[in-house]
Amino acid sequence: LPAGLSQWFPALEVLDVSGTGLAELGAELLALPCLHTLLAKNNRLGGPGSLPKGLGQAALGRSLRVLNLSGNRFLEMPPALFALRGLRSLSLGGNRLHGIPPDIQELRSLEFLYLGGNFITSIPPELANLPSLSYLVLCDNKIQSIPPQLAQLHSLRSLSLHNNLLTYLPREILNLVHLEELSLRGNPLVVRFVRDLTYNPPSLLELAGRTIKTRNVGYAPSDLPESLVRYLSLASNCPNPKCGGVYFDSCVRQIKFVDFCGKYRLPLMHYLCSPECSSPCSSASQSSTSQSESDSEDEASVAARRMQKVLLG
Amino acid sequence: MEQPMQTEMWKAESLEELIRILHRIFAEDKVSVEEVQALMESYESNPEEWLQYAKFDQYRYTRNLVDSGNGKFNLMILCWGEGHGSSIHDHTDSHCFMKILQGNLKETLFEWPEKKGNDEMIKKSERILRENQCAYINDSIGLHRVENISHTETAVSLHLYSPPFDSCNTFDQRTGHKHKVKMTFYSEFGERTHC
Repeated sequence: LPAGLSQWFPALEVLDVSGTGLAELGAELLALPCLHTLLAKNNRLGGPGSLPKGLGQAALGRSLRVLNLSGNRFLEMPPALFALRGLRSLSLGGNRLHGIPPDIQELRSLEFLYLGGNFITSIPPELANLPSLSYLVLCDNKIQSIPPQLAQLHSLRSLSLHNNLLTYLPREILNLVHLEELSLRGNPLVVRFVRDLTYNPPSLLELAGRTIKTRNVGYAPSDLPESLVRYLSLASNCPNPKCGGVYFDSCVRQIKFVDFCGKYRLPLMHYLCSPECSSPCSSASQSSTSQSESDSEDEASVAARRMQKVLLG
Repeated sequence: MEQPMQTEMWKAESLEELIRILHRIFAEDKVSVEEVQALMESYESNPEEWLQYAKFDQYRYTRNLVDSGNGKFNLMILCWGEGHGSSIHDHTDSHCFMKILQGNLKETLFEWPEKKGNDEMIKKSERILRENQCAYINDSIGLHRVENISHTETAVSLHLYSPPFDSCNTFDQRTGHKHKVKMTFYSEFGERTHC
């Protein structure tokens, strides 16, 4: 890029350098205080120095709203990216990303995130800390599971997960109140689930933790070693309404098949605190077929009303 | 549609001319599929002529009505963002022509599922349609899924349906179960609709 760029065009708002063979975006961009849209797809970006140093402190770091880096060679999301606090739209589709760093949560203003066509294997729970995220594309990757924390993305309207390696979804997915589009085709979703027969009994630590939580035994941080205070904060609630219990590490996995709009059966993973527990509204039966028969009507019909378009088939 | 006695070889020099010729062709009692397909393919896509209809939506592909063909056909422009795709669907006994105006679209053909079946649907074939190519499908040929598989480029396609229809069935690839859906327009004649 020409060195005098910010002097000649100080009012520049949109810059498209796509398909120009650039291997790095240089410091010439830093002093463009009005630049809100930078399109740099189909280039040779991806090595160190792809983004200019000092991006966080520069005018560009505050002004940029839309950044398109799709069709480049990024192996990982460049750390300089996370200084773009005002960024609303980010595309890194068609790169070579193997993962998403937890730092993604720094992009507090992000509404649109396109990461389709990479080699991503897992999603960090920190992705759920993006309060404005409404469009999330993770299709054509190698994702094996969705963290239940993603249900905290209250603004999510569209979630693209097709062509991945998902076998089930977390039941919390039903909590995404504004989700209208969900694509799941091309995933090896289970149609039948054999209940986990290898149930390891809880450790003494777990049993003690459960007792403290369910009996509401009071404690102050000064009463316990820090590690135990932290352990107690990780309790998860058992979804069995008759249980009201908690679990830490020892739990039973159970898949329930939930009908959507009478057309699709989604396998949703439930975590229960013991083999005697069962997820809401189902009978305490061993076989997976009868579980699918007695699906929670409330859960399904509420979710079905919300999710107008589940693209499974 | 049947083969007329003489197959005319049309060349449409502009979108406006394409529409004019389509009106002429569909005014006849007999219309030839090959004639329409050749006509659609002959039009060389010029974005200036259709940009006003090409309204993209962030979340999914859009259907933008261009011409309602005196009730004989619907001509519309579909805008596909990166990664946008359709479900597997049929064409309600109508003829469907699909011409690529920009970018590429992947078309996957499927067999009709068994009436009482509960099995994974069978893929017949798939192909990538390039700019200016025109594909044709009807229910006797099969079902298809159309998608923009590019993660970097958008795609725009021109569709002709005759007779016009506003509902179709979508199919679950894993079970073959079908579900009737109503189709709506994101814009009509260049104006955004609000539904």
